[in-house]
Amino acid sequence: MAKLLIVDDEADIREFAANFFSKRKIEVITASSGEEAVEITEKHKPDLILMDIKMNGINGIEALRRIKEKNKDAKVIMVTGRKPEDEGSFDQCQRLGALGYVHKPLELGELERVVMSALVK
Amino acid sequence: MAIDYKKELESASKTMILIHDPNALIKIIVRMIVQKVKLRYAGILLHQKEGDSYILTVSRGRLGIRIPEGFARMNADNPLISFFRERKDKELFRDGAIVYKKAKKILNRKNISPHLKKVLRGAVYQMEIFDAVACIPSYFRDDLLGLLLMGKKNNGREFSQDELNFFSALASDVAMAIRNAQLFKEIELELNKTHELFLHTTMALAAAVDAKDHYTRGHIGRVTDLSMKIAGELGKINTKAADPKFVESLYIASLLHDIGKIGIPGAILNKDGPLTDDERKLIRDHAVIGVKILEPIKELGESVLGVKYHHEWYDGSGYPDGLKEKQIPLIAGIIAVADTFDAMAIDRPYRRALSKDQAIEEIKKQSGKQFDPQIASIIIKLYQENKI
Repeated sequence: MAKLLIVDDEADIREFAANFFSKRKIEVITASSGEEAVEITEKHKPDLILMDIKMNGINGIEALRRIKEKNKDAKVIMVTGRKPEDEGSFDQCQRLGALGYVHKPLELGELERVVMSALVK
Repeated sequence: MAIDYKKELESASKTMILIHDPNALIKIIVRMIVQKVKLRYAGILLHQKEGDSYILTVSRGRLGIRIPEGFARMNADNPLISFFRERKDKELFRDGAIVYKKAKKILNRKNISPHLKKVLRGAVYQMEIFDAVACIPSYFRDDLLGLLLMGKKNNGREFSQDELNFFSALASDVAMAIRNAQLFKEIELELNKTHELFLHTTMALAAAVDAKDHYTRGHIGRVTDLSMKIAGELGKINTKAADPKFVESLYIASLLHDIGKIGIPGAILNKDGPLTDDERKLIRDHAVIGVKILEPIKELGESVLGVKYHHEWYDGSGYPDGLKEKQIPLIAGIIAVADTFDAMAIDRPYRRALSKDQAIEEIKKQSGKQFDPQIASIIIKLYQENKI
């Protein structure tokens, strides 16, 4: 079963997304901070990481950098509040090797598609 | 379904429509539906003009099942949205709501068109994604303003027709509340625009006078600033001067106080030498000419008093009516001080400009004669505190 790590500091979003993908036969693990995400990635080697950018502590971009440093094959999709090209972080995420991005509020159908196609790649 | 909460919701909704507060109404509705009908979750997507999409704005229910607020959106081309925007609900569902089970049954029917089937299949798939068993549109006329999504009942039962009808009624109240709030905002914007137009027109009129009187260029702007400063300080001890309506009238009156000079020949206004008695009399007419010019603008109200009486003296020896003391409207008393103070600082053919120091001395001397002592004391205070 494919393993998905969901990283978000909002419990509401974490729980909803976890439930959403569990129903689609995906094993879901969650992290509530960037630091935790780095640790869990080390330990559980998820097939895909869904990473919120705006978080307390280290943000998603910094977590992405640390994860990629240790494991350059890790697949990470960034989740952002605005269009990332607006906040200038899109380029940064791409340079750091993010697989893609989605922005909130998001089409759940699109989220499903993006995650599923990344998992079969 | 108990009747008591229905009544409660109905009256809440009527109140909210009146106070133009759609968000509060939506929150109450979603919370009550979840609590009283005992649903796993309910949420409302609201239309956003920007981007023409629907954002999940209010959401209640169990953690993990409720969709987080601000997390999900549906674009205009989302099949569920197009289903309602194309009013397919009218063709297929009598009451406007899509109930998941009914929709599945319709999909198995042979007598519906391939296009309709395709749209409905897309809509049903969206309901699956959102884990919704019923979906109720909120229309104003044929504009889809929002969409209420409802999860399963905790006890697993179906919605009764009675319940669905009630939700539809609530949804149309929500649409009405949203629409009213929008209209209210638009009217407010329109009023602001009209008000801006009025202020700018007033400034243009004031500039016309400024352009005609060469000696006093810039005088109107300075008098207006000074009047505002006086009112600001006076407002601390005089409630009338603190009233925003009064302050606005004063602002307008200060801008227009010399408007009557438009009716005085330029040759006299700009005469390079002392004025004759007749010429001085003619210049004095500007107060009354100003009132005549402004007369048709009924909305000016108190401002006209400022224009008419800004040359009255506290001791009764001014013009045009020789009013004295409290007979002189406050608005005119303030402009009189500001106008004289600034005029003294301007070079005239018959005298050099006074320094600010000298001008203040002059105001002190004229306090109780030319000027209302209370207003004179304010400008003196402003000067001493380096505020003018």
